[in-house]
Amino acid sequence: MFEFLLHILCIIGIYAIVALALNLQAGYAGLLNFGHIAFVGIGAYAIGVGTQFDISLWVVIPAGILVAMLVGAMMAALGRQLSADYWGIATLALAEIIRIAIINEDQLTGGAQGIGGITAPWATNNQLTDELLFAALIFAGVLLSTLISVRFAQSRFGRALRLLREQPQLAICMGYSLPWLKCKALMCSAVMCAGAGMMLAWYTDYVSPDYLLSSETFLVWSMVMIGGIGNVRGVLLGVVMVEGLYNFIPFAKDYLQISSDLTGALRLGLVGLVMLICLLSRPGGILPEKLRILS
Amino acid sequence: MKRHLSQIVAATGITFVCSINTALADVNLGAILPLTGTSASIGEDQRRGIELAIEQINAHGGVNGEKLSLIVEDSASNPVTGLNAVRKLTQVNKVPLVVGDFSSSVTIPVGQYLVKNNLLHINISGTSTDVRKIGKTSYSVIGLDDLSARFSADDVLSLGYHKVAFVAPDGAYGQGMAEQFTKAFEKAGGKVVAKVLYTSGQPSYRRELQQISRSHPDAYVYTSYGQDAIVLNREAWELGMHQTPWYGMYLTMAISGSSGQYTDGQLGMEVAEKAQGEASSAGQSYADNYQKQFKEKPRSVYGSYAYDSMMLAAAAINTAKSAAPAAMIAAMQKIAPTFTGLTGTLNLDADNQRQTQPYLKVKALSGSPVNR
Amino acid sequence: MIQFLIDTLIRTADLSLVALGLSLVYGLVRFANIAHVQYTMTGAFLTAEGLQLGMPFTMAILCSAVICGLLAVFLHYHVFAALLKAGSANAMIGSLAVSMMLVAVILGAEGSAPISYNLPIGTIWQIADSRVSSDQIWSLAMTLLIIAAFCGLMFFTPQGRSIRALASNRDLAAASGLNASTIVHAVNFIAGMMASVGGSIIAMNASAYVNQGNDLILPVLAAAILGGLGNPIGAILGALLIAVTETVVTNIDWGWLLGGELMFIPTTWINASSFVILLLALLLRPYGLFDREVRRV
Repeated sequence: MFEFLLHILCIIGIYAIVALALNLQAGYAGLLNFGHIAFVGIGAYAIGVGTQFDISLWVVIPAGILVAMLVGAMMAALGRQLSADYWGIATLALAEIIRIAIINEDQLTGGAQGIGGITAPWATNNQLTDELLFAALIFAGVLLSTLISVRFAQSRFGRALRLLREQPQLAICMGYSLPWLKCKALMCSAVMCAGAGMMLAWYTDYVSPDYLLSSETFLVWSMVMIGGIGNVRGVLLGVVMVEGLYNFIPFAKDYLQISSDLTGALRLGLVGLVMLICLLSRPGGILPEKLRILS
Repeated sequence: MKRHLSQIVAATGITFVCSINTALADVNLGAILPLTGTSASIGEDQRRGIELAIEQINAHGGVNGEKLSLIVEDSASNPVTGLNAVRKLTQVNKVPLVVGDFSSSVTIPVGQYLVKNNLLHINISGTSTDVRKIGKTSYSVIGLDDLSARFSADDVLSLGYHKVAFVAPDGAYGQGMAEQFTKAFEKAGGKVVAKVLYTSGQPSYRRELQQISRSHPDAYVYTSYGQDAIVLNREAWELGMHQTPWYGMYLTMAISGSSGQYTDGQLGMEVAEKAQGEASSAGQSYADNYQKQFKEKPRSVYGSYAYDSMMLAAAAINTAKSAAPAAMIAAMQKIAPTFTGLTGTLNLDADNQRQTQPYLKVKALSGSPVNR
Repeated sequence: MIQFLIDTLIRTADLSLVALGLSLVYGLVRFANIAHVQYTMTGAFLTAEGLQLGMPFTMAILCSAVICGLLAVFLHYHVFAALLKAGSANAMIGSLAVSMMLVAVILGAEGSAPISYNLPIGTIWQIADSRVSSDQIWSLAMTLLIIAAFCGLMFFTPQGRSIRALASNRDLAAASGLNASTIVHAVNFIAGMMASVGGSIIAMNASAYVNQGNDLILPVLAAAILGGLGNPIGAILGALLIAVTETVVTNIDWGWLLGGELMFIPTTWINASSFVILLLALLLRPYGLFDREVRRV
């Protein structure tokens, strides 16, 4: 049981980094990005392709980060004219194009089967040691991301992003270049996600185009919204809640001895129900954003 | 907020405690199947195959005198969900063996994990040749794509079709099948003049069918399942493409759900046991039992493979006289290569993959495959 | 050429009713309702149930449409209206949760296998060099009829005028005496009905299956966005553009460029091509191709 919990913590950690990155865009800057998962996929595939063709990590990791930043910049460029909902779908379209390209280029990426047998550079043969090492690294990653998020929130950059979200005209008057702000926010987010993606590839020893499905973006969005968009602690709580929900519903199924032909439907239905209850009862998220309101 | 938080914590705590009190007397085996998502209908078919096997085993005294029971988890065709499921099954429910998944993209990471932890994995439907590389304690009861491709290629050529067009879904299964069939067919002297990998889940495939009909092949070789197969067959018929012969790999699932009028006359191949009119007594009773219990015909051959995997697992436990992983692995090494089930004798090679698989040449008649 | 036209029309018809409903509701509630595509799935299954009970086909479609319409109104009133108070992203994620629950209910009730309508097989008509089944002609005709009726409602009746007024400026419309909540409920009902009919028509050509809604999300969203959210007729034209792109991309033979043998863009790129068109269109016209909303300069 302990090992299982450790595993869940690792998965939670990886998703936490992705969710914090989304919070940077959506929570601080109000950018509704529905193609967010593309950054994660790029990081993961950087590792995958590197393993496939035996390319050194010193090349692969910077390359992955660079490509992710490029895609982030592309998304920002899309946003020059597009308003929120349209930009969201445009980013979704871009992420889907990347996913379809990955499935089709099977010579490079292994196609729909993905690339297996990826071993992390620090892997030992002992399951427990590996698990603990991963947990430590992922925890460090989450800590770093949290620190970055909190620092950004309190910094001039973060305040500028919130201004961009609430009063874009005022931000322009004050001399901020909105496109450049968006670009910076997206690129930071992209780097964080690429790191999370690499962790995911190493942790699961596998990379597949299914990591880039739009349903994964929606999963991360639900974590952020349920926890509390704009609030770092809220986001972390949201990740714990949603991922915990997905992983403990099967135990409820075992306990209640539900017949196995209803397993799939039950899992889906219960997760949806709990998410809906959370959203209805706490509309701003469980820990909503704390804005300083001048009385 | 605090009230909600404490409620959630309480619920989680209760679930924890309860989960520890799982039944200790039975022997538990695990299965990871796609119970939701695109492949849900096949995942269900497989689950039913496993259930039938378990009923059969328990009716004959169980394993080592204990009841066999199954814990099935949904993978939703997602690798990360599959990994979470296998961790739960092995680290919490402590199962020594896990069966699954349907799609190679979940089978491979799940299998890798099990091999790394010295547990048993039985692959029941992933047919991509990458399955070979999973590891020593992973066994396949299904013949990989190279076997089915070789048989189909020879069959198609023997029917006189030298130029064919290939249709399959764009996913792990279809891509693997396309690659292997092309290799086998061209090695045997034929030519694949066009290849269409359609995106699953569309309401219509007219454009894909138009494109492939432009190549004017002697025959269309296709493999498909679920909703897509129904749409494909119907639209091919409506477009008049059924005037060119169609050859279905794994014909049962390709024509399942389609009206007979759209599919009659198609040729194909199927795993031995599934066609009507010829079956060993074991195969016949599987289809009969399935029909009796679930009120419909078996949807695909994968249910039989799932059935076989349970029989194999039970045989291993009986041979090892224990359900401990290490003992089972030793037993599997001994009995698996020559195990005989619904789908024939396994005849495994050094990578634990089947070297031979009895297939049948079939054709579609009134919506079901029959021997030709 | 005729084949091209027919394929395009069929693809457009598949998407248009659903995209139309999505866009229509968006105009009033300002959030993209992902659960909308699940009404298509629910409607398809309800029609199947109706047929099994022995109802004639049109009757079954009508009943399932009414039930889905009522479902849409119910969900909006009890769930989405509450979620919207906290913002549109909140409502969108809520619609995702509702979507999961709908799929779960149907999966539990109907099982995972596709359910066919078992309708009598239609005759095949040969038009020039293309073949079309009478079922498809029927679906096309039905879709066109419903779209025409909808246009009639929107542009030639006072009720339609009030819907358009509410969509363009909610406060002013309310100040002019329009009852916003009744109109929103009516619109949800219509959209739910159309989604259900759209789903039944799609299922008629194949079968009703549980993943139908999820498979429609991306194309329908793309069509609605292309046409400009809030512009229902634009959504239909958006669907048309997507259908044209996809059909053109897969049917042009590039062999003449590269040496004579037949060469097509692989069908695996079909969906990518419609997304590329979407991006290009949004770059040129940021609010959708047929946007006519007045915005402050």
